[in-house]
Amino acid sequence: MSAKIEAQRVGKRFGSVVALDSLSLEISAGEVFGLIGPNGAGKTTFIRILTGYWLASEGDVRVDGVSVTRQRFRVQARLGYACEQPKLYADHRVDTFLHFMAELRGLSGARLRGAVDLAVQRLGLEPVVRRHIGVLSKGFRQRVALAQAILHEPAVLVVDEPTVGLDPAQQIELRRILAGFKGQHTVILCTHQLHEAELLCDRVALLDAGRLAALATADEIKSGGSLEELFLAKVGSHHETAP
Amino acid sequence: MIRRLWALARKELRQLFASPIAYVVLTVYVALTGIYFFQHLVSYNQLLFVYQSEGLTAGGFDQGTVPSQINVLNEVFVPSADDFGLFLLVVLPLVTMRVFAEERANGTDELLLTSGLRPFEVALAKHGVTYFFVLLLLAGSAIYPAVVVLRAGLGFEHLVALYSGQLLYGCAVASIGLACSAFTSSQIVAAVLGYAIPFVLLDFAWLSNTVSESAAALLREVALLSHYGSFARGVIELRHVVYFAGITALGWLASVASLELSRAR
Repeated sequence: MSAKIEAQRVGKRFGSVVALDSLSLEISAGEVFGLIGPNGAGKTTFIRILTGYWLASEGDVRVDGVSVTRQRFRVQARLGYACEQPKLYADHRVDTFLHFMAELRGLSGARLRGAVDLAVQRLGLEPVVRRHIGVLSKGFRQRVALAQAILHEPAVLVVDEPTVGLDPAQQIELRRILAGFKGQHTVILCTHQLHEAELLCDRVALLDAGRLAALATADEIKSGGSLEELFLAKVGSHHETAP
Repeated sequence: MIRRLWALARKELRQLFASPIAYVVLTVYVALTGIYFFQHLVSYNQLLFVYQSEGLTAGGFDQGTVPSQINVLNEVFVPSADDFGLFLLVVLPLVTMRVFAEERANGTDELLLTSGLRPFEVALAKHGVTYFFVLLLLAGSAIYPAVVVLRAGLGFEHLVALYSGQLLYGCAVASIGLACSAFTSSQIVAAVLGYAIPFVLLDFAWLSNTVSESAAALLREVALLSHYGSFARGVIELRHVVYFAGITALGWLASVASLELSRAR
């Protein structure tokens, strides 16, 4: 259960600032696709357009042929999204929050309970399931964000900076969890961790200043050296663009 | 859709009553309305005493005769309704300022608006829960007027009219506050606007001498107070109901528009 994604000349401007400049991409069903790039490259902007949170200034993204611009609710029904620095309700308990999100996703009764139990199990949330989100470590908060994103078994799973701010042990554990999603969803992984992208992704797109700077498969990256070398060659080491 | 709305409404209720603001506002409102209602009741009783007092016969009053305009409706219900309305104006922005602004400041609006919820559903649940809170406030303050209605043999319809007016007026004020909250991520800005707009709309009498007759008439029609008074006298007029319902609907539409506009930032 996964979906194909096509971005056709997607652009986003904030006044005179061009955050995304005519970006075109095709992501195959079931693929784990990495989005990398320096700060302000347009990664999160693209993700926010794909999830329907922002409207593209031009172009469109289609999920299995369904336009995000015209039918965003249909797209959102097939999409799970764990955003950067998980934005969750700190005053909710983990189980209450997951029940709430499952209800928003249209689940009810035994299906809802089953989905919540499965998500808790897949993300290893059993030890904290009755705790308030506000008191959880960053690692567990990330897991809760991922758990709510997979409740409705989405065709597309969008994950923005899942390991930022985590300690090495938490990063390793979260990567293991992300690797488990392979083959079950089309995964879009937006990350600053080049090593993470190398480990997990089938293909990686390097964005720079809102444009596609490079697109490479895992094999191409390996044969050409490393993702770090590709990054340095295309973007440089002291690069920062305006947001 | 109903299930999603109900889930969101429960979340809003949980958040509303997780903070002390809801309890403080409830307590303060019920206490203030009780004190002021009691004060009007005491004044009314003193007035009755004055009129019925033997010692005043020489002063021009007929002993034991109370003018018809001195009644519990005019002396207790009408001034109390004015006070209650003012208190609603003071306490409601404290509740509405958080509703949308906090969601935007914490970034949880991204969670809601990418989960398949329509902006009108988000606004509907948030507005609905706030109107329910207005209802709770009014229910808490209805005890004293209810006792007076029962004891004075006034007729239950007066209480219904008074509280229908307050509910409509409260929902309109809350809706303005919610719309202000929807357009900002700062709760302070939401509160300031939530106070400023209803206070400006409250009464344009101060302007009536400086504008033309037709403009003054128009301003009277726009003012909140012009539509609020008749309810306390036990009259429910359709035009006043439509006015308050219209403001409430406009506030909700503004909230929906704000959520939609935020996509095109």
